Amino acid sequence: MMIAMIAGAIWGGVAPATAQSALTVAPLVSLAEHRVDAGFGVERSLGPVVGGVGTLRFGPRLAVAVRALGGSLFGSKGVLDRDVGELGVEGSMVAGPWLSLQAGVARRAYATRVARQTWTTVAAGAAARVAFAGGAIHGVGRAALLPVVSVPGLPDPGVAFRAAAGLEYRIRGTTLGVEYSLERYDFPIEGGVRRLEQLTALTLLLRLRPQ
Amino acid sequence: MRRLVWAAALVVGVAPALAAQGSTGELLAQAHQFYERLDVERALPLLRQIVSPNWPFEVTPDQRVDAYKYLGACLALAGKRDSAVLYFRAAIERDPFTELDPSLFTPAQLATFDEARHRTLAVAVRSVKPARVDPRTARVTFTVVATHAALVDVKLVAVGAASPLVLFQGTMDGVREIAWDGLLANRRLAPPGRYTLAVVGRSRVSGAADSARVYFDVRHEVAALEDTVPDLDQHQLLPEWISPEAARRDVAKGVGVAAAALLIAGAANGSLHGSERGGADVVAATAAVTGVVAFLVHRRHGAIPENVAANARHRAQRDSANAGVRARNADRIAATVLLVSPAAGEGTGP
Repeated sequence: MMIAMIAGAIWGGVAPATAQSALTVAPLVSLAEHRVDAGFGVERSLGPVVGGVGTLRFGPRLAVAVRALGGSLFGSKGVLDRDVGELGVEGSMVAGPWLSLQAGVARRAYATRVARQTWTTVAAGAAARVAFAGGAIHGVGRAALLPVVSVPGLPDPGVAFRAAAGLEYRIRGTTLGVEYSLERYDFPIEGGVRRLEQLTALTLLLRLRPQ
Repeated sequence: MRRLVWAAALVVGVAPALAAQGSTGELLAQAHQFYERLDVERALPLLRQIVSPNWPFEVTPDQRVDAYKYLGACLALAGKRDSAVLYFRAAIERDPFTELDPSLFTPAQLATFDEARHRTLAVAVRSVKPARVDPRTARVTFTVVATHAALVDVKLVAVGAASPLVLFQGTMDGVREIAWDGLLANRRLAPPGRYTLAVVGRSRVSGAADSARVYFDVRHEVAALEDTVPDLDQHQLLPEWISPEAARRDVAKGVGVAAAALLIAGAANGSLHGSERGGADVVAATAAVTGVVAFLVHRRHGAIPENVAANARHRAQRDSANAGVRARNADRIAATVLLVSPAAGEGTGP
């Protein structure tokens, strides 16, 4: 059975703190690449991910975003195709004119025709937004540590972080974003094997304000 | 003991003054009683005592006028018309508002009194009584008198002001009430201050002239007015133009975002043979181009339409708020109530 709705999570984050509307919705599309080395060489898969982020603002400083993403990653030669999906919730609090603090939890699933793996992650980090002159364009940078990464059958990774950089273009009530993001997980050596995983994505996002 | 001495001195000092007023009043009352019993021969000496320069006790202006009036009335009853006219004139000169009540005096006395008024020109205005007047619904009333037919000018002028407001100009005979709507010649509400009401009369009988004036203060009673919203200063407005420095900084910001994307791509694990760098390259190129384009656009067209519009909205809100404040203040000013009170002399006003 094809699990269409479950795909890899690539892009995360809440809407910018400067958004004016209480509620924004942002459909997105990503080109994601997943690399994993579990002791059998590097397995690489690449594919599209689609989804959306809904953000609800509570006053000028606080926002909560819920995201749902899914897609299929197609394996390179000899690598199984996999579906990936993610559901996540993230809170954001404005800490300054250009800085906001973010924390969230996400549940991600990878599924191949032979196995299924579920990840639970907790992230804590910050997002910086730099306005270009005029304020219609913003440069966005994000960084977060993932102190909790729970994967059945695997130990906690020693290194787990997420980073992203991109741009947002505001045209009237709509914001178009483009972002490059990377997640990296370095698990400790176990049985002489060190498992490494990495997810990168190029994401296009369109943030809309419902009337 | 010392207190007792002081008390005695006080009693000794005050007693004569009280006795003086009492003496004049008592004597006048006694004269009235004689007059009402038509005992003119006994009333006349008492009245003459009161108006005599040798009368040792204090006589108030009203008492003196009353004494002259009853002297005239007594002499008229006694058939001494010329003397009666003389005393009536003395009463009229001291108080042009003096009248004889037709129900208390005979037609002969009234006729004699009229002759006295005919021979004497005096104009007067009653002192202004304290009043609270809403100019929209009420008037300030002045009472003036001319003892016989005269051309009378009644003018109101603020102390120190040049142009008077003519309240009345014409022939007058007797008492007349003149209403003032609280406005000056420029049709604006009289501002707070001291005012003079001047009456000038010229007899149409003898050509004689007389004048009188009273002073009064005008104050405004108005609900507290609201302050308007102050002008917007630079700190309250958004910049409407992008400075050349800000435009140049856009290039640096674009480069910064590009560098961040490439740096993140560089953080990919080497054991995984790096990462797919295409995405990072796309973002980096986009950021660099964005910075350069923003710099070029802003250098040529530095206006920030959003800020211009936001400032315009801000100014419009302020203007709207001020218009409301002005309208409310205008309503309150329109409801100003005049507080009128008598004053002495020109002074400086309240």
